[in-house]
Amino acid sequence: MEIKKTALAGTLESSDIQITLSPATSGGIQIDLDSAVASQYGDQIKDVITTTLQGFQIENALVKAVDKGALDCVIKARTVAVAQRALEQTEPAWEVL
Amino acid sequence: MADIRDLHLRVPSVKKEWIAFLASHGLSGFSDAEVASVDSVIGLFDGDRLVGTGAIAGNVLKFIAVDEGDVPGANFNQVVSELQTRLMMAGHSHMMVFTKPQYETSFGHVGFTTLAKTAVGVLLEAGAPGIKQYLTQLPGVQDQAHKQVAAIVMNANPFTQGHRYLVEKAAAENEIVDVFVVSTDRSLFTSAERMQLVQAGVADLKNVRVYPGGDYMVSYATFPAYFLKSGDDVIRYQTTLDARLFRDWVAPTLHISRRYVGEEPKSHTTAIYNTVLAKELPPAVQLIVVPRLTQAGTVVTATQVRQALANHQLATVQDFLPVSTWQFIQDHQDELLKRIAKGVNIRGN
Repeated sequence: MEIKKTALAGTLESSDIQITLSPATSGGIQIDLDSAVASQYGDQIKDVITTTLQGFQIENALVKAVDKGALDCVIKARTVAVAQRALEQTEPAWEVL
Repeated sequence: MADIRDLHLRVPSVKKEWIAFLASHGLSGFSDAEVASVDSVIGLFDGDRLVGTGAIAGNVLKFIAVDEGDVPGANFNQVVSELQTRLMMAGHSHMMVFTKPQYETSFGHVGFTTLAKTAVGVLLEAGAPGIKQYLTQLPGVQDQAHKQVAAIVMNANPFTQGHRYLVEKAAAENEIVDVFVVSTDRSLFTSAERMQLVQAGVADLKNVRVYPGGDYMVSYATFPAYFLKSGDDVIRYQTTLDARLFRDWVAPTLHISRRYVGEEPKSHTTAIYNTVLAKELPPAVQLIVVPRLTQAGTVVTATQVRQALANHQLATVQDFLPVSTWQFIQDHQDELLKRIAKGVNIRGN
């Protein structure tokens, strides 16, 4: 799926994650992660984001994630929201959920 | 948990409280023009007590001040987060902030990248496309390594023989010349028109490339004083940030080793800018100041062209203009005069 525009979801409040998704023409899903717990959970966070985006058939994207200690379910929810905004989809993507 | 509300500064009591809050955080002395230029202002409230504020103007975050609550950084993050969401909803996926050096780390924690800093201020950005994307996606920059590359930044409001003379000189002395046209739309000629006239005016020079300056070169974000009347200290501080951004990001990425500027006998702001460039750019980038082109004893400036247009004396400046610009003004005279009548400033830059 082609990303139509840059989108943002989530906040910078504690236990949340703010994700910005923007288009890329190549290079796969590239994630730039800011997190206080990146050394312990960085790979896990990136994995949740990548898997969720792949669920939308997004192949190439630039992702900026600013994590404030979000749990996996929050990361997934924010990724779904940002993907739907970037793809300009209004119907919930049930198969990804 | 504190909640966010809009602050309506038109209400005198709200404005008074807001100004007092900013002053208690060391932010004061800004002009009414600067306050009037913001698109929206938010307040963070703990009950009825104001504990934080921030504003957006175009794609810029401004007037950010917060009290430290029980959780360090929480109020700050909540304000910045709300402003970012609002900017995104307004269609600004790329955002910038001008702030004091002590807030650099706080913005770093919420994903901002530092573009330039001085002892009194720092300029950061977030969102996409960022400066790296902007620079690497310019067409033709790949082959600039190992070449003698020069750059010129111009507003070209409009493009004159003086601009042409400067570009020609740079084109003759270098292998490639990158011309950046100021993108901010606050001049008599729109950025699209200025871009088009520069492209038309240098079309025959094969080693010249014309690019929009984006948010990075003399933009309303990096250098508001270029567009708003400001004091010398403010001009000096903003031009220093602009010069350092060029030196630390633009020049290395595009392999630019020289920057050409026109000597500035008339505009006070631009004269300070040239002095600051001379101080900040070397040794990484050599600054070359070219004396202004004179036509029949007078210095060619775009200011005179705009003045002549306003006074219906276009014929007096025909010699100042390349055919393409002359033709454009002829064709769009009514529209331009309408803009002047509407109050577009023609005396500034």
